Amino acid sequence: MAYARLAKENTVPVRILEGQKTLISRTMHSMEYDAVRDELVVNSPLVQSILTFKGGSNGEVPPVRVIQGPKTQIQGTDYDGNDKMAIDPVNGEIFIGSATSAGPGKGVVLVFDRMANGDVAPKRILGGPKTQFDFPTPKGQGFPHMTVDPVRNLLIVSTRGGLLIFDRAASGDVSPKRVIKGPKTLLTAGNGGGLIKVYSPNGMIVSSCTEGSICAWHIDDVGDVAPRFKIPVQKLTGVNFSGPTLNPLHKEVIVTSSSRNVIATFYWPEIFETP
Amino acid sequence: MRAKSAGRSAIFAGILAIAFGVFSWSLLTTPDLSVRQSTGSARLVSIEQLPDYADVCAPEEMSAIAALHAEFEHNTSVYAADTVEVNRPPVRTIRDTYPIYSSVAVDPVRNEVVLQDTNLFSIKVFNRLENTPANVDASTPKRVIIGPDTKNEYNNGLYVDLANGETYSVAMDTADAIFTFRAGAEGNTEPMRVLDIPHRGFQVTIDEERQELYSTNQYPPRLLVFRKGASGNEKPLRVIEGQRTGLADVHGVAVDSQRKLVFVGNWGNSSNYKVAGSGKHLPPSITIYSTDANGDAAPLRTIQGPKTQLNWMGAFSLDPETGNLWVANDVGNSILVFRGTDNGDVAPMKVIKGETTRLDHPAGISIDTKNKEVWVSNMGNSSATAYSLTAAGNAAPIRTIRSAPVGWKSLKFGKPQVVAYDSKREEYLVPN
Repeated sequence: MAYARLAKENTVPVRILEGQKTLISRTMHSMEYDAVRDELVVNSPLVQSILTFKGGSNGEVPPVRVIQGPKTQIQGTDYDGNDKMAIDPVNGEIFIGSATSAGPGKGVVLVFDRMANGDVAPKRILGGPKTQFDFPTPKGQGFPHMTVDPVRNLLIVSTRGGLLIFDRAASGDVSPKRVIKGPKTLLTAGNGGGLIKVYSPNGMIVSSCTEGSICAWHIDDVGDVAPRFKIPVQKLTGVNFSGPTLNPLHKEVIVTSSSRNVIATFYWPEIFETP
Repeated sequence: MRAKSAGRSAIFAGILAIAFGVFSWSLLTTPDLSVRQSTGSARLVSIEQLPDYADVCAPEEMSAIAALHAEFEHNTSVYAADTVEVNRPPVRTIRDTYPIYSSVAVDPVRNEVVLQDTNLFSIKVFNRLENTPANVDASTPKRVIIGPDTKNEYNNGLYVDLANGETYSVAMDTADAIFTFRAGAEGNTEPMRVLDIPHRGFQVTIDEERQELYSTNQYPPRLLVFRKGASGNEKPLRVIEGQRTGLADVHGVAVDSQRKLVFVGNWGNSSNYKVAGSGKHLPPSITIYSTDANGDAAPLRTIQGPKTQLNWMGAFSLDPETGNLWVANDVGNSILVFRGTDNGDVAPMKVIKGETTRLDHPAGISIDTKNKEVWVSNMGNSSATAYSLTAAGNAAPIRTIRSAPVGWKSLKFGKPQVVAYDSKREEYLVPN
C-alpha cells in the first residue's frame, strides 16, 4: 500500500498492489524502493522469491522480474520464511538472509544482481563462523536486516544485540571490519526486527533500540558505544514501533508499529545535519 | 576510523557548546529557568518538543543549530549522559481509527452478528437485525470484547458455537492460539480456553457432528484437526500435510458434516522450507478431502483454474442444506458460490459482485440457514453486509452494519512491520 507522505490519520492509501498476479505472499518484513531504477523490491517469503515491480505500480500487476528457483539457494524456515532483504541501489545489488541445510545459526547472506531474473545463482555468499552470523534461531526466527553504505562501501548486518559491519563486497567466511555491540549500545536481542538505515553523507546508522526507541550510531563506531541520538518513541507515543526508514529531503524518520497498526513520522534534523 | 569519529564528535560537541552558550545567556535573562543550572552539566543531552509547524512549511530550511537554539529557548532539560535524547512527538501519524473487519460469524440462536476487528484488536457483537441508517456514522455494538486480558490480537478466524454461544477467535501471529470466549463475554475478559496452534493460523471451524475443530495453517501449509474443547498444547488428532495434499498457502476451511467433506482454500504460494530454492507460484485452488483424511493425503478433487475467479480468497462457509461452498473472494471483491461436487477449472455456479453489493475486500463469510441469509465482513469499508441466500449478481445487501461513515475506505492496515519511502512520488510504501 502506498500513502502520501503528508497523509495523516484516516487518510486512505493512494495505491494498493494486491492480488494473485502480484505473486506477493504474506509475512513481508522488508520492502525497498530503488530510486535509481524507480522500482519496488520485495521478497515473497513463502515461495523463496524476490519480486521487483515498476515504481508506481497499482492494482493487480505482475512483477517485472522474479528471482526464484533451485540455483538461487534461497531458503527460509517454517516460522519466518525468508522474510528480510535489502537493496543497494547505487551498486545494483539485492541482499537476502537465507537459512541453510546446516541448520540453526548457520544462515548466510545471498547477494544477487538487481537485474537478475529467474533461476539464477547468487553472485556472492557471505557466511560462516567468522562472520558472527547467528541466524536463524532454533525457532526459525532472527533473519537479519541489512543496509549498504555506498559511500564507504560497507554492508551493515543486524545480529541479535549488535550490528556487524563488513566490506560491501565481502564474500565467503570473513570477519566483520567492526562490530557495534554491548550494553551501552542499547541494541537489544530483539534487534533483528527493526530495519537498519544508513544516511551515507554523514554515516549515521538508524535502527530500533531498547525500550521501544529509535537510536542512531555512527558507522565508524566500534564496540560497546552509546548511540549518538535516541528518540524514546514508546515513551512519547505509548506505542512500540519498529521500522525505521529515512526521508533525507525532509529530514524525517518514518517508523511503523506492527503491534498497533500505526505509521509515525518524526522530524529529526540532527541525524541528517550532524557532520 | 575511531579518531576520525572522535574528530566529528568534537566538532559536534563544539556546536553544542556554542548552542549551550546561547542557552546559558538566555538563563541570565530568564530567572524562572535558572533552576536548570543546578545540573552543572555542560552537555545537551535532551531535546524536548519543537513548536508545532505546519506540514506545508519546509522544515529543512531550519538548520540544526537554529533548531537547537529554538529548542533551548523553549523546552530543554539537561543532564549528564552520553546520548542526545530527542523528545519531539511525531509530526504526523497514519492510523485507521475505525474497525477493520476480517471475519464474521452469525448466531441465529441469539440473534447476533459477531465481527472480528483486526485493526483495534476487538470482537464486536451486534444485533442480527441491525441495519445502520444512512444518516448515522456507525452502529453501536451490543457488546465488545477488547483489552489486554483478552490476549486477542492479529485476530482473524471466527466461529460461534450455536449450542452454547461460545466464540472461537484465531490470533494468527504473535499469540499463535485459538481463544474461546464464553457466551456473552464483554470487555476486558480472559478467554475461557486457549489452544496453542502453529504460527500463521487463519480460519477455524468445527465439525459439530464429530466434535472436531479444524484450524488452517498458512505456512507450512497444513490443516490441523483437534478435539473440540482441546486446550493448551494438546496435540491434533490429525494433520493433513505433505506434498501430495496440494496445500499451498492455506486460508479458508469449511466442513460438510453430512457429506463428510472438507474444503480448503490455497493461495498457491508453495515451497518446502527444508529445501532451498523449492518455491513455486501455483494458481489458487480449493482442495477437497474426506473428513477422515490424514497425513500426506491427496485431495479427492481440486477446483483450480482461470474460470474459478479465485483471488486471494478469505474465509469459507458451507450451506449444509445444499452442500454449496460460499467463498469470500477478497481481492475479487466478490462472493463465489461453488457446488460441493465441483472439480477442475469450473466457473462458480453463482457470483455476487458489483457496486450495488457494497462488497469491499470481503474476507469473512457466514451462512445463516435459519434465516436464509449470508453475512460478509468487508475489510475495505468497516462494514458487514447481509444478502439473501438466493441473491446473485449485483445484488444490494438486505442489511448493512457499518462502523464507519457511508463511503468510508479503510486504510487496510494489517501489521505494518516495515516502511519504505518512494522519493519520486513522496509516498510511504507499507507491506501487510
